[in-house]
Amino acid sequence: MLLNQFLILGAVLFAVGVYGVLARKNGVMVLMSIELMLNAVNINLVVFGVQHGVVSGQVFALFVIAVAAAEVGVGLAIVLLLYRNRTSIDVEDFDLMRG
Amino acid sequence: MVDTVVFILAAAICLTGALGVILARNPVHSALMLVMTLFGIAVQFVALEAHFLAAVQVIVYAGAIVVLFLFVIMLLGVDRAQNLELSVLPVQKWAALVFAAGSLAILALLVMVVKEPVTGAEAIGGSATGDENVRLLARSLFSDYVYAFELTSLLLVIAVIGAVVLARKPKNVVGVAPEPGNEA
Amino acid sequence: MEALLAFSRPALDWHALAPELTLLAFGTLITVVDIIWDDRSKQAMPTLAGIGLLATLLPVITLALDGTDRTMFGGAYVIDDFSLVLKALFLISGYVVILMSVDYIRDGDYYENEYYTLMLTSLLGMVMMSSSRDLISVFVALELLSIPAYMLAAWRKGGARSNEAGLKYYLMGVFASAVMLYGMSLVYGLAGSTAFGAIAEELGSLDSSPVAILGILFILIGFAFKVSAVPFHTWAPDTYEGAPTPVTAFLAVASKTAGMVALIQLVFVAFAGRDDVVQPFFWLIAALTMTIGNLIALRQTNIVRLLAYSGVAQGGFMLVPFAVAADAPARAVEAVVIYMAIYAFMNLGAFTVVLAVARKTRSGEIDSYGGLFQYAPGLAVAMTIFLAALAGIPPAGGWFAKFGLFRALLDAGGGWAAGLGVVVAVNTVIAFAYYARILGQMWFQPAPDGDERPVVMTGSLKAALAMTIIATMAFGILPGLVGHFGEVSVLSALGG
Repeated sequence: MLLNQFLILGAVLFAVGVYGVLARKNGVMVLMSIELMLNAVNINLVVFGVQHGVVSGQVFALFVIAVAAAEVGVGLAIVLLLYRNRTSIDVEDFDLMRG
Repeated sequence: MVDTVVFILAAAICLTGALGVILARNPVHSALMLVMTLFGIAVQFVALEAHFLAAVQVIVYAGAIVVLFLFVIMLLGVDRAQNLELSVLPVQKWAALVFAAGSLAILALLVMVVKEPVTGAEAIGGSATGDENVRLLARSLFSDYVYAFELTSLLLVIAVIGAVVLARKPKNVVGVAPEPGNEA
Repeated sequence: MEALLAFSRPALDWHALAPELTLLAFGTLITVVDIIWDDRSKQAMPTLAGIGLLATLLPVITLALDGTDRTMFGGAYVIDDFSLVLKALFLISGYVVILMSVDYIRDGDYYENEYYTLMLTSLLGMVMMSSSRDLISVFVALELLSIPAYMLAAWRKGGARSNEAGLKYYLMGVFASAVMLYGMSLVYGLAGSTAFGAIAEELGSLDSSPVAILGILFILIGFAFKVSAVPFHTWAPDTYEGAPTPVTAFLAVASKTAGMVALIQLVFVAFAGRDDVVQPFFWLIAALTMTIGNLIALRQTNIVRLLAYSGVAQGGFMLVPFAVAADAPARAVEAVVIYMAIYAFMNLGAFTVVLAVARKTRSGEIDSYGGLFQYAPGLAVAMTIFLAALAGIPPAGGWFAKFGLFRALLDAGGGWAAGLGVVVAVNTVIAFAYYARILGQMWFQPAPDGDERPVVMTGSLKAALAMTIIATMAFGILPGLVGHFGEVSVLSALGG
């Protein structure tokens, strides 16, 4: 089987993820788009591992999954924190950063 | 032939899911479309004979990470989604389209280049099939990459500690003392 | 079948792993102490953390005295002089940050014990980064140093602004990580191995394959975010302002240095053959970063934001030698290492003064620095030393850092290097303008509202100030000290 099509799938997923990160305003949605990008990376890694006949591609993908889990945990904690402060403080103005 | 059919089906699932993630209005729908994508990718892993990774993908990614997403989304309330929005510069939507288009240009590049050094391989590498896959992975993980492996486990523990601290309800409701930089 | 079942333990060099293991042991100790004694352990925590960092210096010193280069895991983990020098730099900077944090964290409404745990973990990631010569190790080290940093940046839980800043830092960081990973996957695909040596061989032999170029660019972009290079710097000012000030110092110094270390390893070892991609990229990024960082800094009225943009510009200066990476590799590595070392101390010193003054004025505006010379002459002199160092004025250390840049550019020669040299010179002049503005406030302006009460300095702040002043002046008056470390680290980085 040719391996090219997997790379194309990876590239498309990555592009979709990039659009999602840049265009979505909701922090959780941005995080989900980043997960799409990481999955594209994983596809690439496994495919290249198969191409060269080594298992290091799959090992790398395993690390990516583990680190993604840690990142998501941290990210959602920060999101939770932000939400708590935003709703307990009656702030209408979301664009607090200027200059 | 079967391989190609499987690939096309799985790719269709992946892409539908991906588009669903970025286009859905409701975060819960987004999360479910993400599960769809992850499942499609797991199928691709099986097609590439990376069985252990496919299992990990389903268990960890779809089974833990997306569940975590759903917990937080439901905890915060779907209808309150707008409270999580960050300030977006008006130019950002255009930048997003530009970057996405750029990324698709990468795709075109890969398609054109792809005949040559990148992917000449015809057959799936026979070195990691079936039962051996786990053995080879384990061998590699615990000999060549054991250092990174152990530190990743540390990373996970620290992520838990930090996440708990950040997400805890405040101990006391005293206001934060004014700090330099917060006054500006 | 037996061959498949047989598993041979990897050969572990415990002496080489000693620094990381010591740091890990102290991190665990802190966590356990925290669990058992909880609130009662708050006093002891910073002391334990500080002792841990100093204790980790011991194996680093013994490894340095031993002198042999060690590799493990097929070259993925390397101990050479370069890694030892950088490890020492991270540990000492970390110690200074802990000194700076003690009172700030205690007095503010922060979770204390976990703060030190996260900081030690981030430093462990940086120490690991110095030894990593393989894609997976670099990636794991990067995440190990970044994830605690994301959390520390959001440590000021009470303010919505800080939360938003922390979230933005996190999202941009994870995005940059994902882009970098995609690049790594492409590079891995071309090389078939994660080790830098194999990658260098493979990339060097390919002529302008678009996939290789793309892979390299994506990896560099991921790290450009980490070192807050323009146009990936937008997170820096908001995050620096929203984070607790010691964390800001930590991000501005240690995190940036870690990114630079990774870039050195990538550019000089893994991408050694691809200067056609690497050099133009860094030329552009360095020029943009210096210029835009300085120009925006001119407009700032808040000292923390000004130091943030100044840090961005200084990062730009540090990136200059990468633009001549292939033409003058030895000098380039030397220049970057020297700049990193000097930058660490002068920036940490500046932040220490900011912390000290803020204890009294409770404000971050530059205007509040008026009359500092009247009521706190020591601090004013210290700040003058650090600002002079940042601007590059002898005898404070910064001049030698800039000198290293010019030496590398001269060694490389050629039109592009000369052009970049001009940009460096112009930017040095521009930077002096805003450093001088602070100096003017301190020396010539009256104290705001005539408030001439002295600044109360705590012991640890004094210690931090003393260390940074001594280092900055020593590097300026006896440049051979830091120059020696620069030279020594070159040979191994290129050889490895």
